Amino acid sequence: MIKTTALSKSFQQLEVLKEIDVQVNSGEVVAILGPSGSGKSTLLRCFNGLEELTGGSMQVCGVLVDAKQSKKERTKRIRQIRLNTGMVFQQFNLYPHKTVLQNVIEALLIVKKWPKERAVEKGESLLARVGLLEKKDVYPSRLSGGQQQRVAIARALAMEPDLMLFDEPTSSLDPELVDEVLAVIKELAKDGMTMAVVTHEMQFAREVADRIIFMADGVIVEEGKPEAFFTNPETDRAKKFLKKK
Amino acid sequence: MDVVIENLPFLLRGAYYTLLITIVSMFFGSIIAVFVAVARLKGNRPIRWMARAYVSIIRGTPTLVQIIIVYYGLVDYGIKLQPLTAAYIALSISIGAYLSETLRGALQSIPKGQMEAAYASGMTPVQTMRRIIFPQAIRVAIPPAGNTFIGMLKETSLVSVITVTELLRSSQLLIAQYYVYMPFYISIAIMYWIMSTGFSFLLERLEKRLSIYV
Ligand SMILES: Nc1ncnc2c1ncn2[C@@H]1O[C@H](COP(=O)(O)OP(=O)(O)O)[C@@H](O)[C@H]1O
Ligand SMILES: [Mg+2]
Repeated sequence: MIKTTALSKSFQQLEVLKEIDVQVNSGEVVAILGPSGSGKSTLLRCFNGLEELTGGSMQVCGVLVDAKQSKKERTKRIRQIRLNTGMVFQQFNLYPHKTVLQNVIEALLIVKKWPKERAVEKGESLLARVGLLEKKDVYPSRLSGGQQQRVAIARALAMEPDLMLFDEPTSSLDPELVDEVLAVIKELAKDGMTMAVVTHEMQFAREVADRIIFMADGVIVEEGKPEAFFTNPETDRAKKFLKKK
Repeated sequence: MDVVIENLPFLLRGAYYTLLITIVSMFFGSIIAVFVAVARLKGNRPIRWMARAYVSIIRGTPTLVQIIIVYYGLVDYGIKLQPLTAAYIALSISIGAYLSETLRGALQSIPKGQMEAAYASGMTPVQTMRRIIFPQAIRVAIPPAGNTFIGMLKETSLVSVITVTELLRSSQLLIAQYYVYMPFYISIAIMYWIMSTGFSFLLERLEKRLSIYV
């Protein structure tokens, strides 16, 4: 589903991602761990083109993006990728001027040009899936953080993505609201959704992920099965990181 | 007071023109503002520069001077406009500059995550602007734009100098005829006040309606 080759990203002089080779297979759940500032978000955002790669290449959902392609070509391909991926942000980023249901179906109406009834039907079934159907006509500001994030997940699922990207989906939630969001993500994992999840929830990563990717300073330091990684990390960096948790 | 009552239709006609000029200028000024604000935020370098120059020049010169240039100045180039047309043009250009600044600030105040969420869902930049960013920015911009609007209502009195018979000039014409000042001036002051507070009231209602989601 994702395969990068020497993917690099710099912000001006600052080299944030250094020749990353990473792969996410179809149906796999990959948890990306690492200290803050290590480049996890940037890597995730490269996958759907919210950040432009400055070196190397990647193949996401069957679309090849290369830093050497013309800007126009890359824009076209990135758009193709975005039609097949969903993203969930730390800050939810729901549209405050739209109701819960409108948030979920916006892209169906505008991007996919679905007729209204069909989109509403789909939107309602997704809201039911995240347990928020009764909130469909309220504005996001009336919801708790956990509920907002569940709506954001429903919104991302509306486009029927092949790949879901999560960037610290529970990091801005009050502790008592974390579980309801993780439960939804676990459901998705069970249904076989391919996912890349940046998270600080170690217990969750251990339980749900098929593979752990541990990043530090813009490189992948260690990679492996959750059990092996958590019980017996190979690198000092990872040992230090896990001890702090 | 009798002279005022007697000439009330004439004054009301002046008030009508004051309103008309305000609304027309506000309408075209808003359109200008949208283009200029987007040009300043998304344009390439020469376009950004032109938009900036426009805003700077308009904000840095008196509205009266702008009106006079459009009406009298352009005559040098063979452009002889109707006074009312000149008023529309000058005031639209003027208000467009102020509104563009309001709108630019409002657009910049929308968190970046909104754009990212829309892009991530496959929306194009134009769709994102139209459906996600603009509707939110408009809500932010409405209170200050409303104040500009009310300011505009009062500024229209300036076009009396290019012989547009709006409210102020209506009173001046009557004064020239009857040689009494205060009744007419007080009357038009009251009319301006009624129109301004009327707008303030409508504006508050509008703000309330648009703020249901917060
Ligand atoms: N838009 C940006 N401009 C400049 N530097 C950035 C930008 N985004 C991220 N960075 C820098 O890139 C590094 C990695 O950031 P990030 O990917 O957010 O890390 P993480 O998600 O692992 O905490 C940090 O040093 C951060 O300051
Ligand atoms: Mg991050």
